[in-house]
Amino acid sequence: MPPGGYFGQALVVDVTAGTAQTLPLPEEVLRAYIGGAGLGVWLLHRLGPPCVDPLGPQAPLAFVFSPLVGTPLTTSAKFAVVARSPLTGMLTDALASSQFAIAGKLTGHDAIVVRGRAPRPSVLLVDGDGARLIDAAHLSGLPAADADRQLRAELGRHWRVAAIGPAGERGVRYATISHDGRHAGRGGLGAVMGAKNLKAIAVRAAAKVATADREGVLAAARDLRERSFGPATAKYRELGTLANLLAFNAISTLPTRNFQAATFEGADRLAAEPAEPTETTEPGGPVEAVAGMRRVARSGCASCTIGCEHIYRVGRVGGGDSGGKTVRVEYENVFALGPMCGVSDPEAVLAASARCDDLGIDTISAGGTIAWAMECAQRGLIDAPWLRFGDSAALLRALDEIGGRSTPLGSLLAEGSRAASGTIGGASKSFALHVKGLEMPGYEPRTLHSMALGLAVNARGADHNRSGAYEADLSGDLDRLDGGDAHVAAAIETEDRAAVMDSLILCKFLRGVFTDPFSEWAALLSAVTGWDVCAAELSATARRIVMAKRVYNIREGWQPSDDWLPERLLTEPLTLPSGRVATLTAARLRTMIDSYYAMHGLDADGHPASATVDDLRLAEPSADADLRLAEPSVGTDLRLAEPSAGADLRLAEPSAGADLRLAEPSAGADPA
Amino acid sequence: MGTPKAALEWHGSTLLRRTVGILARATGGPVVVVRAAGQDLPDLPPRTTVVTDPREGKGPVQGIAAGLAALAGQAEAAFVSSTDMPLLHPAFVRRVLRVVDEDGVDVCLPIARGYPQPLAAAYRTSLAPIAERLVKEDRLRPAFLFAECVVQRLDDAALKADPVLAALDPELDSVLNVNEPADYQAARARPAPEVTVQLFGALVSAGQPKGPRAVSAATVQAAADAVGLAFDRHVTAALNGDQITRDGMTPLAAGDTVFFLSADAGG
Repeated sequence: MPPGGYFGQALVVDVTAGTAQTLPLPEEVLRAYIGGAGLGVWLLHRLGPPCVDPLGPQAPLAFVFSPLVGTPLTTSAKFAVVARSPLTGMLTDALASSQFAIAGKLTGHDAIVVRGRAPRPSVLLVDGDGARLIDAAHLSGLPAADADRQLRAELGRHWRVAAIGPAGERGVRYATISHDGRHAGRGGLGAVMGAKNLKAIAVRAAAKVATADREGVLAAARDLRERSFGPATAKYRELGTLANLLAFNAISTLPTRNFQAATFEGADRLAAEPAEPTETTEPGGPVEAVAGMRRVARSGCASCTIGCEHIYRVGRVGGGDSGGKTVRVEYENVFALGPMCGVSDPEAVLAASARCDDLGIDTISAGGTIAWAMECAQRGLIDAPWLRFGDSAALLRALDEIGGRSTPLGSLLAEGSRAASGTIGGASKSFALHVKGLEMPGYEPRTLHSMALGLAVNARGADHNRSGAYEADLSGDLDRLDGGDAHVAAAIETEDRAAVMDSLILCKFLRGVFTDPFSEWAALLSAVTGWDVCAAELSATARRIVMAKRVYNIREGWQPSDDWLPERLLTEPLTLPSGRVATLTAARLRTMIDSYYAMHGLDADGHPASATVDDLRLAEPSADADLRLAEPSVGTDLRLAEPSAGADLRLAEPSAGADLRLAEPSAGADPA
Repeated sequence: MGTPKAALEWHGSTLLRRTVGILARATGGPVVVVRAAGQDLPDLPPRTTVVTDPREGKGPVQGIAAGLAALAGQAEAAFVSSTDMPLLHPAFVRRVLRVVDEDGVDVCLPIARGYPQPLAAAYRTSLAPIAERLVKEDRLRPAFLFAECVVQRLDDAALKADPVLAALDPELDSVLNVNEPADYQAARARPAPEVTVQLFGALVSAGQPKGPRAVSAATVQAAADAVGLAFDRHVTAALNGDQITRDGMTPLAAGDTVFFLSADAGG
């Protein structure tokens, strides 16, 4: 009997062999790694061959749920997608929220892991009848949202879909996986899925999962819901993360033109707040800023009471018609496609965001790579004079060339800034703004020294969600321009908190409502699972997860030099409007990294002691050899349904679940 | 005065609290308070170092020696301030310190408003042993110290050659000290400095102007009060787009800009 909140097993699907098996997940493993990003790294250790080609058939792609999924706890409808990144060669784990999380878990699995490569473009279906493949030829080339819509129309509305766009099909190394308009965005998971010849994965709930203390969970859910309406989440509710833009600009933390500056003169036009009328504004006339022009709706993820999604209407750009398209706007996509590329035209930034959604590419990596290319063009390192900072049309053209891999330049940029700068060579490497191959998010490390460390040592690379050390820099508790031991301790603390939140999984936008986070999270986990978890245990779990990621990366070829920041950030100081000079030298960064290693018990090269590795419980007794065959109801024959079977898919309405005939009649019928 | 100068009220704070806050803002480095043995001090900001003067009654050079010694290894130069200059401006501190940092001298001594200001001056921390020796030799006047090192003196004109200081403290009120109750009352009666406040994101309430606005406020808390903002755990303040604080008693000076931000920045 698994603990509350769990099924105690993962479904492992091999789309080459057409088999599906279940992997038992012992309670010790679940307690040690919880779920989400934590359980995901454990699964990668167990199921991923060392140094496997991320785009090769043997590479596992894991959709990992968590014990809180399916409970009424606000923001808990999340899942992690975990794989070896084709962009970084290291671990990547992207979190996303949607009904896919609930339906995926209620297929009866704590994770669904895909290996192999389907013989032709396919959709993987998983529900109570098992796993099977259907043909996806008719979906090829569609944006993920369109594929999602079409599949649900064919399969029935209770199916939930995670799909890739054209960029994933073409192996763009920062392609995304999308579902309900949300994205598992960073690290190129869409390319991994595309390499498996999977256009989409569709899941349908078929089981229920119990919680250990139902009343306790309900009480906690009510309490958390109430708190989620308070001031700690006001920013997300009222303006969304785009509220960061003007604030970051005011404190010189808004990376601009490939990190050549930390303030952007066009920030006002891209802000979430309506712009102040100016002398040039006609009375009663439109104020030309993104907020005043385009916000059309506010929405929220499944099971979320915050409602942080601010949806904007895309207008006309360059004579094109958006057809009434809307786009979810976040700080990161506006930063990456706006200031980072020097673009201040709100129409263009919204259109570029929508274009990224259609293509299925990560906005941060896209913007970062294009900004790098713009600087290359500026310096004459590449022959693309049209690719200029601030040029809206150039931005949109570059996105199209990347998504389609339609030109040599597009194909080059589709590899990401690290690989592209390796090809161009010379000085271009010094201004390729990435860590471990992952392009930088919208946080200026020279003015955020805790964050500088967090970005440098993070397993995923330049990532603001697994570190979150900017919280310490912006807290006022330490001097953000004078990194030292206090900043290291703060970075470790935020990293630990993120490891737990990403494994439970709870949305980080909720973090401000917790006053004693580890104790409160332990209470939630205890109520769901029945375990007697305390704050100290969760702290240890956080360290275990962080370390397991590091150990995974080491196995995949990580080198000490990978824990570092781009040269520009260490050699080009910034002068703040106050007159103070923000300098992040190599020596300071080295000192902070050394301190980080010491505080984690790592050696001088960032390697853990063997006893530390032993404690990670990566060798629990459920190796691949122990993969059990699926239960009789789970299909072991994933032969593709005939294309014509699509017509039958409409039979798969929820009430007809017992009569599903999605695959050929023999598929799924033979339990052997 | 009736009350120790350090503890004199200053716009809801104290003179010492203000002085420490201004020095912390101006230098970005550690701040050391030198007190007499057994002397009670008012509340100080976190990370303020307090050292006890080992020899009482030896005058300013003894205090300078103790303070410089406490900074050994942490800073090359220090601004030395008495606690009774309630109008000290960060721009004045930076102007004076910059001379030691850039010109290679040991001391930058302002001759402001007609008087030498040894307790509003910058000293190289390596002078600590010399100062200690002078105290042992009972040579207690700052002039003895200046005789043994390289001193650059800045008169009013030289000080105000810095356009920032000239704009923000044109009368060099920074060096005004309060020795008598009347001095204190006169200084306290001055209006609080004029600063610019701007709110960001969700802190902007409906109906409030969204752009910058001028208010009179001597502390961050007073600036928040002036715009009707609750300065609680969900809010931080960025001074001049640079230092970020949650401490409402952080002192403000003329010309400051205070950005109020959501504490839950990022995402």
